[in-house]
Amino acid sequence: MKARAKLWVKLKVTDLVVETAWLTLTEKLEFGDILYGLAKYSCWFMTCEGKNSEVIINALDRVISLDSTFTNQNKHKYSLVVEGEGASSGEDGKEAVLRRGDLQPEKDFPFRAEAGSAGVYACDCMISELESDKDKSYADRLNGKLGGVSVSEMRAGLVWRMIVRADGKDDAAEKVKKMAVTRSRREGLLLNPHYQEFEIISTVNLSKRSRD
Amino acid sequence: MQDSFSGKVAVIQFPGVNCESESVRAVRAAGLESEIFRWNMPPQLLGEALAVILPGGFSYQDRIRAGVVAAKDTIMDKLSDFARDGKPVLGICNGAQVLVEAGFIPGLHWEKIDLALAPNVMSDREGYYCNWVHVRAEGNNCLWMNKYKEGDVIPLPIAHAEGRFVTKDEDIINDMHKNNQIVLRYCTEVGDLDSSFPVNPNGSVENAAGICNPEGNVLAMMPHPERASWLRQVPEDISGKWKTKRRNACCRPEIMEDEGPGLAFFASLIREMTG
Repeated sequence: MKARAKLWVKLKVTDLVVETAWLTLTEKLEFGDILYGLAKYSCWFMTCEGKNSEVIINALDRVISLDSTFTNQNKHKYSLVVEGEGASSGEDGKEAVLRRGDLQPEKDFPFRAEAGSAGVYACDCMISELESDKDKSYADRLNGKLGGVSVSEMRAGLVWRMIVRADGKDDAAEKVKKMAVTRSRREGLLLNPHYQEFEIISTVNLSKRSRD
Repeated sequence: MQDSFSGKVAVIQFPGVNCESESVRAVRAAGLESEIFRWNMPPQLLGEALAVILPGGFSYQDRIRAGVVAAKDTIMDKLSDFARDGKPVLGICNGAQVLVEAGFIPGLHWEKIDLALAPNVMSDREGYYCNWVHVRAEGNNCLWMNKYKEGDVIPLPIAHAEGRFVTKDEDIINDMHKNNQIVLRYCTEVGDLDSSFPVNPNGSVENAAGICNPEGNVLAMMPHPERASWLRQVPEDISGKWKTKRRNACCRPEIMEDEGPGLAFFASLIREMTG
């Protein structure tokens, strides 16, 4: 059977790259009035084949927890989710998923500034390299170790979670793009469009949920 | 702390750079005064300088992307004015990455990002690459190279993981050609261009190792001339004409202190100043 697997990895301790990005965006580039929070994850999204979801997640969990290409248990926490045929139903009954790891990215919204009552959105912005063979290299690495499970598609990149003040999803996407894409010395920070690309992979309206 | 940079070459030390002292020594060896300029010194002091060098290293620990955090630093406002006034600015390795991320290079649209220094692409490995390479001097457009002749083959060391000049915009390449901005290209020991590894050690477009702005006063180069400023720094097994010079210097310390292949980048400033 085929299953989709998502691996999110984050440092256990303070991520100094995030600290630097935060200071640069809010103080040097003056996005302090719209950026309320920032986090960074290394992510691998893949399609796997195996006997069933249980077999797939166990094989992936065994490899990624021991291979420092993906995680180092001394310094990382991670979330591994497999969605596919044969997985048990979630509590809400909406989605059949299996989970491993001690990270919950779906609940990780690190606010650094008081958001007030304005609309607040968390945008996940995935950055990857153009014309890179890194995805294939990650898939090859896993396929060499999984045994009984294979990875057929792989997409890897860095995901920046940006919590922004915005008037709706489109406005949030526009603001995130402005902060992320480096167009000039005074515009954008997180990627250089001449060798990197970005995609907003999800937007969550935080105004509608508890911020605790 | 220095209270004046008048008549001196200022070598900017951002947090994390590590070639500032050797850059100062190389400039002094060329016959000019030079001092380290810490990034948080009063910006107006920079305006007095004769020239500015951004040395190699890992400014801000290469966080986010090599050179990008330094490119947003307050001191870069002053350096932007300095460069636009036509004064000499040289970025070496990480310094080149800062100049590209600041949009001073290629400088076709000032402070706009028209290039990147992307991760190396090599046929049999990935990541950091450290070796001596040959580069060919092209044109006579750049003031940092006026002591070299067109076609000169210069052996220099490189040490980087992100040194691949690249752009998504074909027009930028055409404009750089038109303006003779690609002033250093990776080549063989006899000056032939070869786009494959290891002659082109990082997959750089057009074999570019150094690119200047259209006016020729700002140069971003990935090789390290300050590490090739004395003959003693040249490896004995280097190929080409420098091999003979280096081997003849063996056991003769007085000759070992002779000029190396990279010193002329700094000495070019004197020619620029004296006409």
